Amino acid sequence: METIVSILFSGVFNASTLFLVAAGLQVVFGVQKVFNLACGSFYALGAYFGIVVVKSFVAGGFSKPLFILPLIGAGLLLGVIGPIVERGLIKFVYDRDETFQLLLTFAIVMMIEDVIKFIWGTSPQTTGGIDLIYGRLNLFGATLPVYNLVVILCSLIIAALIGYILLNTKFGRIIRATADKKEMGEALGINMKKVYIKVFTLGTVLGTLGGALVIPATAVVSEMGVELIVLAFAVVVIGGLGSMKGAFIGALIVGVLKSVAIFTYPELEMLTIYIIVIAVLVIKPQGLFGGSKV
Amino acid sequence: MAILSASDLRKYYGEFCALDGVSFQINEGEFVSIIGPNGAGKTTLINVLTGLLTPNTGKVFYKDREITGIGPEKLSRLGVARSFQLVNIFPNFTVLEFLMVAVVSRLGKGTNFYSSLLRDQEVNREALEVAKLFRLDDKKDVLTKNLPQGDKKMLDVASAFALHPEVILLDEPTSGVSTSDKNKIMETLVSASKKIGIKSIIQVEHDMDIVFSFSDRIIALHQGKILSDSTPAEIEKNEEVVCTVVGQKECFKIFSTLMNREH
Amino acid sequence: MKPWQEIMSLKSTKAIILIVVGLLFLGLPLFASQYVSYLMLTFFAYAIMVLGLNLLLGYTGLLSFGHAFFMAIGAYTAAFLTGKFSILYMEVILVVAVIISSLLAALIGLVCVRYIKIYFAMLTLAFGMLFYSFLLKFYYLTGGDEGMRVLRPYLLGFNLSEIPKMQFLTGNYYLYCFFVFALLVFVMWKIVSSPFGLCLKAIRDNPEKAEYLGISVKRYRWYAFIISGAYAAIGGALLAPAIGQVDPGLTYWTHSGTLVFMTLLGGFENFFGPLIGGVVYIFLQDKVMSLTTYWRFIFGAILAFLVIVAPGGIAGVISSLVKKEKRGE
Repeated sequence: METIVSILFSGVFNASTLFLVAAGLQVVFGVQKVFNLACGSFYALGAYFGIVVVKSFVAGGFSKPLFILPLIGAGLLLGVIGPIVERGLIKFVYDRDETFQLLLTFAIVMMIEDVIKFIWGTSPQTTGGIDLIYGRLNLFGATLPVYNLVVILCSLIIAALIGYILLNTKFGRIIRATADKKEMGEALGINMKKVYIKVFTLGTVLGTLGGALVIPATAVVSEMGVELIVLAFAVVVIGGLGSMKGAFIGALIVGVLKSVAIFTYPELEMLTIYIIVIAVLVIKPQGLFGGSKV
Repeated sequence: MAILSASDLRKYYGEFCALDGVSFQINEGEFVSIIGPNGAGKTTLINVLTGLLTPNTGKVFYKDREITGIGPEKLSRLGVARSFQLVNIFPNFTVLEFLMVAVVSRLGKGTNFYSSLLRDQEVNREALEVAKLFRLDDKKDVLTKNLPQGDKKMLDVASAFALHPEVILLDEPTSGVSTSDKNKIMETLVSASKKIGIKSIIQVEHDMDIVFSFSDRIIALHQGKILSDSTPAEIEKNEEVVCTVVGQKECFKIFSTLMNREH
Repeated sequence: MKPWQEIMSLKSTKAIILIVVGLLFLGLPLFASQYVSYLMLTFFAYAIMVLGLNLLLGYTGLLSFGHAFFMAIGAYTAAFLTGKFSILYMEVILVVAVIISSLLAALIGLVCVRYIKIYFAMLTLAFGMLFYSFLLKFYYLTGGDEGMRVLRPYLLGFNLSEIPKMQFLTGNYYLYCFFVFALLVFVMWKIVSSPFGLCLKAIRDNPEKAEYLGISVKRYRWYAFIISGAYAAIGGALLAPAIGQVDPGLTYWTHSGTLVFMTLLGGFENFFGPLIGGVVYIFLQDKVMSLTTYWRFIFGAILAFLVIVAPGGIAGVISSLVKKEKRGE
């Protein structure tokens, strides 16, 4: 029983950060139709930057349990690279074939990889176990880190926020309308340039925030961005391209699957996930909530 | 003999009904025009007939074989081809290369990995013949993207003809063309069909003069339903009945040219 | 037209250029340093891989981020056959590599070619990374991240193990690879000039119209995928003995990215573009890597520049220069 709880819990924890990145991916694809390979890199940047901020926070003598505040702040702050990347690079390829868009985001991945290497080097880094400050709790015999629970809660709050924005604000309506039909936005006289910047920044922030939140619980390694994009794609396929609901449910499924696989057959972790991906592609290619033809 | 028939086709986009129980039969040797105001469902009908869209209910038959939703590729092999309202081309191909694609496909040479296309006399010859039928042979080495709009349209149609289909569906073949050229184009199409051996032509068309000059039968579509399915002469006779059913405003839209012709 | 443009556009000129370049490649070890000859040797292998990739990218319009997967299959085949099974005949290695990669490409292709281009790129990426994690985790079979050694193969049945390493690589093996390379260039040329090649280009330019002309887009993409996979495997199998070592990094997605980069750099709308890209990349990377360890950033920036400003690559720039002059008079 306790193993099941353990597995489920770590699965949901995986899912929370995966959801954030996948949501960022989905919203940018939905509006700009660009599949941003660099979302994993933003995640990695968030993680590295998160470590820096937490370490300085602690070194500055501030109250340790409050570390999560600057951590979230770090994730949000790093979102500033969103508009820079969008205006500096992405905007040039909106009208081009997907191939070029993918290649450009791949170039960004390469550049960010070396930026990370330049600033932080290649050895794995951690926050030194600061998450343990929140202690653990006992659920059905399993010991679970409270920090992870905090992260899960944060993701749920963010998911609810996203849902609210999409359904009840003008910005959200614009996102949903353009996701449906790209020309609609322009036809309605909306300044699409601003929308694109905002959406891309939103996508970026979700990624950096995800990375920042996850970092106290794990070590950051230079490949984490790449591994993440592979997982994020699995979420997108299972959940459906362009769908927020899909990002949520898909992330849950992939997160729990990953957890189960690590526990049972760690060598086959990726393979298990991708067998499901292939199965989904064969049975329902649009994914659970996807609408458009793939 | 019925060569293409549709039986109770219905197609919904969410709650919007594009096709609401459409049934008809096209016989060998007929030239049928489908008319109707914009939004009547004409393009949806063509998409369903050519297997690009699957109807929610209803079936499409080619001769006695059901072809509902089989997809354009299989359909072309069976003998049904189509051209597009908005020009659908290979921009970087020359006119000749464009036609060669259709010929290669028809001759089954698509999986020929090893022989040189340039030296394949059969393919070159057949492509050139089609180009001649459509008066594009003098432009055979011009890149499609550099052609004038009217020629692009012709090329799109010509490539469909190059498949030697038995039935061809033309989606507004003369749209975007100046009125003086329309007749010439239609004559080219009709004579090309005869030379190639196309048995039936179905076209979606707005220009009533063309419709009445060339069609054996006219199917009028309105809000997803067939309003009337008869010969040009019969439509002229029944115009009053039709207008009563539909209302004067709609009627005017559909039969405006007809009315102009009469007065 | 200026005289040099006139000459450049003649078919016979192109043939002459090809022959001259071919002879240069052939005779390179005679006048270049051993190091440069070694780099050219790797170029032959990469050129083959990149020709295969371009069949997918330039001719069929499909971007694969998993091309290195097939290259790694070829490389590991060479390692397994020479190292674990003591089968040293290069020809056998090449044939086995082609068979295995074609089978895998057929299977993987069945999944990948049915969906939109983004999914194709991501699925191929995923398969490449799946193989990476397989190579790492099943270390008792594959040597894990330390990889496996590749022993010197017999060329055309001759046991050349007595010859010193660099002499072998820049002499006998260089010639062998050159001829395989030349042969495969010729074969690929035949393929893209065939009716099949025309259909691929049609699929690239307008898949919907191609379907309407009776071409099964999925099936042809599948064929192109298999051929490209076989090419990559041959390239990998040739590269392995040159490096002497195979490791999982060969299938990491950024290695696939490198192959795509080479293709784009040279120009993927052109048959010889990727070859130009390959040779420029190899020598450029060598130069840049010796200057800084942050070569990925530089190449990423170059890639971004190419995509935004010069998507036609080097070949594209050259051909637009020739055309511009032609239109200018």
